[in-house]
Amino acid sequence: MTQLSNRLESVPSIAEDGRPGPGSDRPERRRRPRAALTAYGLLLPSLIVLVVITGWPLLQLLIMSFQRFGREQVFGAPPEFAGLQNYLDVLTDSEFWLVLGRSVLFAAVCVVATMVLGTLVAIMMQKLGGVLRTIVSIGLLLAWAMPPLSATIVWGWIFDTQYGVLNNVLSQWFGLPFEGHSWLIEPLSFFFVAAIIIVWGAVPFVAFTLYAGLTQVPDEVLEAAQLDGAGAIKRFFLVIVPYIKPILIVVTILQVIWDLRVFTQIYALQSIGGLAEQTNTLGVYIYRVSLGTGDFGAGGAISVIVVLLLVSISIFYVRQSIKEESR
Amino acid sequence: MRKLGIVALGAAAALTLAGCAAGGTGASGGSDEAGEIRVWLVGTDTPDAARDYLVETFEEENPGSTLVIEEQTWDGLVDRLTTSLSSSDSPDIVEFGNTQAPAFTSVGALLDISDQYEALGGDDLLPGFVEAGTYEDKFYAAPLYAGARVVFADPAFVTEAPADLDAYVSTAKELAAANAGKSGIYFAGQDWYNALPFIWENGGEIAVPDGDAWDAQLSSPESLKGLAQVQDLMTTASLAPKDGDNAEPWTPYCEGQAIQFSAPNWAYGLASACETDNPPAAPFVYALPGKNGGAAQAFAGGSNIGISAKSAHPELAKKALAIILSDEFQTIYGENGLIPAKQSLASTLGDTPEAQAYTAAAGNSKLTPASPNWAEVEASRVLEDFFVKIAQGGDLKSLAEEVDTKIEDILNG
Amino acid sequence: MTATTAAPAEARRPAPTRRRRGRVSSVLLGVAAIAVFLVSVFPVYWMVNTSFQPNGQVRGTELHFWPDNATVENYVDVIFDESRAPFIPALLNSLQITVLTVVIALVFAFLAAIAVSRFRFRTRGMFIVAILIVQMIPAEAMIISVFRLMDGWHLLNSIMGLTAVYVATVLPFTIWTLRGFVNGVPAELEEAAMIDGLSRTQAFWRITFPLLAPGLVATGVFAFIQAWNEFVFALVINPRPEAMTLPVWLRTFLDPNGGINWAQLMAGSTLVAIPVVVFFLFVQHRMTGGLVSGAVKG
Repeated sequence: MTQLSNRLESVPSIAEDGRPGPGSDRPERRRRPRAALTAYGLLLPSLIVLVVITGWPLLQLLIMSFQRFGREQVFGAPPEFAGLQNYLDVLTDSEFWLVLGRSVLFAAVCVVATMVLGTLVAIMMQKLGGVLRTIVSIGLLLAWAMPPLSATIVWGWIFDTQYGVLNNVLSQWFGLPFEGHSWLIEPLSFFFVAAIIIVWGAVPFVAFTLYAGLTQVPDEVLEAAQLDGAGAIKRFFLVIVPYIKPILIVVTILQVIWDLRVFTQIYALQSIGGLAEQTNTLGVYIYRVSLGTGDFGAGGAISVIVVLLLVSISIFYVRQSIKEESR
Repeated sequence: MRKLGIVALGAAAALTLAGCAAGGTGASGGSDEAGEIRVWLVGTDTPDAARDYLVETFEEENPGSTLVIEEQTWDGLVDRLTTSLSSSDSPDIVEFGNTQAPAFTSVGALLDISDQYEALGGDDLLPGFVEAGTYEDKFYAAPLYAGARVVFADPAFVTEAPADLDAYVSTAKELAAANAGKSGIYFAGQDWYNALPFIWENGGEIAVPDGDAWDAQLSSPESLKGLAQVQDLMTTASLAPKDGDNAEPWTPYCEGQAIQFSAPNWAYGLASACETDNPPAAPFVYALPGKNGGAAQAFAGGSNIGISAKSAHPELAKKALAIILSDEFQTIYGENGLIPAKQSLASTLGDTPEAQAYTAAAGNSKLTPASPNWAEVEASRVLEDFFVKIAQGGDLKSLAEEVDTKIEDILNG
Repeated sequence: MTATTAAPAEARRPAPTRRRRGRVSSVLLGVAAIAVFLVSVFPVYWMVNTSFQPNGQVRGTELHFWPDNATVENYVDVIFDESRAPFIPALLNSLQITVLTVVIALVFAFLAAIAVSRFRFRTRGMFIVAILIVQMIPAEAMIISVFRLMDGWHLLNSIMGLTAVYVATVLPFTIWTLRGFVNGVPAELEEAAMIDGLSRTQAFWRITFPLLAPGLVATGVFAFIQAWNEFVFALVINPRPEAMTLPVWLRTFLDPNGGINWAQLMAGSTLVAIPVVVFFLFVQHRMTGGLVSGAVKG
């Protein structure tokens, strides 16, 4: 037991300075030129791939956003320089602002729901015994493994107005007036259904990643957090969260990015029911403008605006985490 | 040293990537003497017999050359054509939907085949589809085949086609009123294709050219008359979801929940082979009647086919296209229930009552406005939204005025 | 510090005083676990259930919660029917592309993650921000440019072309996540080992690397699923039927003319899902096979 208490004492000293990681590095050793050279060497393969396959098309996209670029240009007609016209068109279009507001709200709800559920499931998995943990992870994995196309189709069947499992069960088993109820015709109800599909699809990823993060936390820290008494939740935030914070932030930012750009689920649901005009989100809007109609210039401009928006949302976290590390 | 090793490994992997890059698929030679012709057919509509005939005939007529059919999917087709037709690995001959045609004829993606027009069939070709494949008086894409939109009715309730459009509306309402729990005509809210004939028959239009611009016409008194009939049917004769699409209307038919539905003619096979417990008999088929009897002007779906501007073997491709539009090849479509690209081959559909209905419906087909921007109207889903609101019982005049503004914005944008 | 490197297994054993309350909460925990399982699995179950039914009874008022009239005909048709796009070549394409993507992306990302979290260099902050921003670009907007790039290199319809695109797609994510995992391993652990006489590299491989295994598995699974399910780039970059991947193959069932065979589509979907499950079970086994605890002990 003395060993254990020793270790417990050592925990806060790591957690206190905010992060357990390289915050306590001895900088003079790591800043030697040879170390920098090694670092660049390690980065090189990734850099090559990213610069060539992502950077170059990104540059093209940026250029395109300042041009009149339609299908003619794809087939070789020289593009015309349009200055800021594409941006002005997008920013003065009231529909863009509606879509933007709607997307931000919707993404916020989805991200919060996904992160809360995903974290709870990850913690639950850690507390479960071997058999139940295996069952839960198999369930999550199966959900994750299901091809997105099939998942969307099956969810569409579940909420189908006429032959849906849900309406059927609600009306025939519970006698509720849900026969022929349309789940998609009201925008709010539409987004409720969309949120269920999206959260269902995202929770396995969040839960698995956070669970993997939790396994990194030293046992004695978990033990400390699991001790009984008031404020178990507080303990969780004070003791465990600092350890998994880097992963938590990464996952949250990724969810923000993905949910704000969400495309497949909304696009598919719109073809099943509902009103497109009242349910378009950014991802669908970009698709309808660029590939759907061939106006790649405007599509590029919207993409650039979306990226700028996402950067401004996440910049706080990025700056904070970089600052913490550079101390 | 081990650190260096890791770096070297990364670089080697990157080199492998680059090395493979060099060894990709090479471009084929430019000679027209002999070569490989790649034909993109979409979906499974073209029967196997027709495919075999095309390959065999082409290779027989052009010794040394080969023809490969590459089946594509409707899903994502426009994206794939936009990219592939502009690439160094372009297919030679491509099929696309007739409403998708203006997106490619107007941008230089296709070879001008005006000189082939007469040889391919001339005025015998389905006129609506020739129009779809023509841009600025140049002929880019020939008709491939068409489908007809007809009405399918449960013979236990309907054994005779209504005389005219008004009778059709009143019959459907009577059927719905007399048979609780059944749709007199299954008419889902998003189903704008089936709503168009009502507008056209009453003298209305979606949009008409007005000088250089387009003038949307859905709020004209004629169109409103047709829209009133659509709303009447959707709200009183149909139990279909107000915001549903028209996918699989044979399902409620097979369930005994829809007495009639309107769909492309290939639905016949599905509606006559129900696998439900008490399936209705094979449907009675008729062409939607017009305002003054006869067949109504209905929207025709189908395909066009053209040659890529980047084809490496344009002369061979033209020969292959000639085979595709030959009477022999087109007859196979007719025998399989699709309407051939040539009007003179209509008889190949057979003379069953169904075939007669298909022929009648196809004979009066009409297309959406021939604007290169029309695809944009469809992509924006304004028409789906418009008819969903109509199905919910919205005010026609204000809805129509609102949608007219949107359509004009897009077509003239 | 030496104590940390030798965490005994009994650390997680609950203290005796907690047992009674533990029983109530463990029942609740079990109920929650079952609920999570059921909600996750229901759509998957519905897919599999549908795949064993005759197509005629898939859509309709009568619900079939169990595949009555069960048949394997859908699977036979999907795999062997010669009139549709062949399954096996698409499977082989998908397997090659996905495995290559996972391996290359993990190696590259692992190296990069070490660089950004264990070293301080001038452009480090810039690099981190850059890979974050890269992920924000909507893929739909980049299709044309990426296609032209691949066309220029004659990499259309090849395994390498699509693999390169997928590596670039998953790389930012894998670097970001792995960086989180590397940050989560206290550098003190390495330093302690170095005091014990290991070289820096040795300390890294013996101490830090094993602790990263769960992270490598998690990001590996992510990369696998991304590459396995990607549709849009596969559609435009590999348009020739012989270069088709499984998601594109699956879409060939969605033929709007002629009615969709839902039962076959679901049989196809089930087939597409199986390799993901197999892969996961494989790496899951590796992960729980004692790598983590063993390393910490050693």
